[in-house]
Amino acid sequence: MAEREGEVGVDPRLLELLVCPLTKGPLRWDRAKNELVSEQAGLAYPIRDGIPIMLVEEARPLGEGEAVPEELRR
Amino acid sequence: MIRRTFDRDLLRRRRARRNPPPDPSFRDELAARLVDRLVDLRRRFTTVLELAAADDAVDRARAAAGLPPFALHLRADTAPPRLGRPAPALVLDPERLPFPDGRFDLVLAAGGLHWIDDLPRALAEIRRVLARDGLLLALFPGGASLIELRTCLVEAELELLGGAALRVFPTLDPRDGAALLQRAGFASPVVDVERVDLAYRDPARLLFDLRAAGESAAFAPELRRPLRRAVLARALELYRTRFVRPDGTHPVTVELVLLAGFGGPAAAPTVQEPSSPA
Repeated sequence: MAEREGEVGVDPRLLELLVCPLTKGPLRWDRAKNELVSEQAGLAYPIRDGIPIMLVEEARPLGEGEAVPEELRR
Repeated sequence: MIRRTFDRDLLRRRRARRNPPPDPSFRDELAARLVDRLVDLRRRFTTVLELAAADDAVDRARAAAGLPPFALHLRADTAPPRLGRPAPALVLDPERLPFPDGRFDLVLAAGGLHWIDDLPRALAEIRRVLARDGLLLALFPGGASLIELRTCLVEAELELLGGAALRVFPTLDPRDGAALLQRAGFASPVVDVERVDLAYRDPARLLFDLRAAGESAAFAPELRRPLRRAVLARALELYRTRFVRPDGTHPVTVELVLLAGFGGPAAAPTVQEPSSPA
């Protein structure tokens, strides 16, 4: 489980609530890139100043292999 | 794919740039009218989504009305909200809400939803994220809004250019509002209309406030025609002479259309993305 101490990240209550606006599927928080990743949609939604930007137009398309969940990549 | 009436990028840039912020007295007026309805309901709402949350006017109105804070109050807008203090906030597209079904017991909008291209779809999305007994309360500008300004602009354009263009923000007809709520599957839909009469010393100040509120016209490029300086000057001249009261102020009519409805049973018409898995 991720530790949240000292994070100036997103409000955890928001993280629990959000889904992908396109697929309504789950999101994975990529702490390193500070993005919310929708594997189903192949998109990463940026978080700027603690504010998730849940716009398809602003999302980064995932590259080759990036859509693989973190635990399977190790 | 729906045909776009508005320029979304332009709208978003404008909402991000609003500076100075909208006339606080007017925002407060809208928020107070919305919160009044909550007070009447005598029900405690815990999980609240506020759309078009330009500032914390709704929160101030809630406190002023003596209502306790909502356990969770998410503020959402199409550009990062400008909030006085840290609060859970996000940027979203009302046509594609990033929430699971049935999660909110209240969705509020003190104006700001009138620039949505596909309003039926946004309402269906709101309905989807509301719990069965969850409530939508949203204010829209009605057709009588800014009637004085619009009359003067049309007349000035006809006089100087021989034709008139779309100039002022879109408005919602109360009958259309009722039909939209029904189409989106809301239970016990209610639509009512209120009038707010404002007074401005100088009509030019109204244009300034509209720009500051991110409410200048933002129609799609093919529908857009630049407003010439001479036309604007003539429109203001007409406004100043034709709509002047004995005390020297100029009336500004604002009509508010309130849409209200409950989430209702779960078998809602859901919004399907073409690419989403079944």
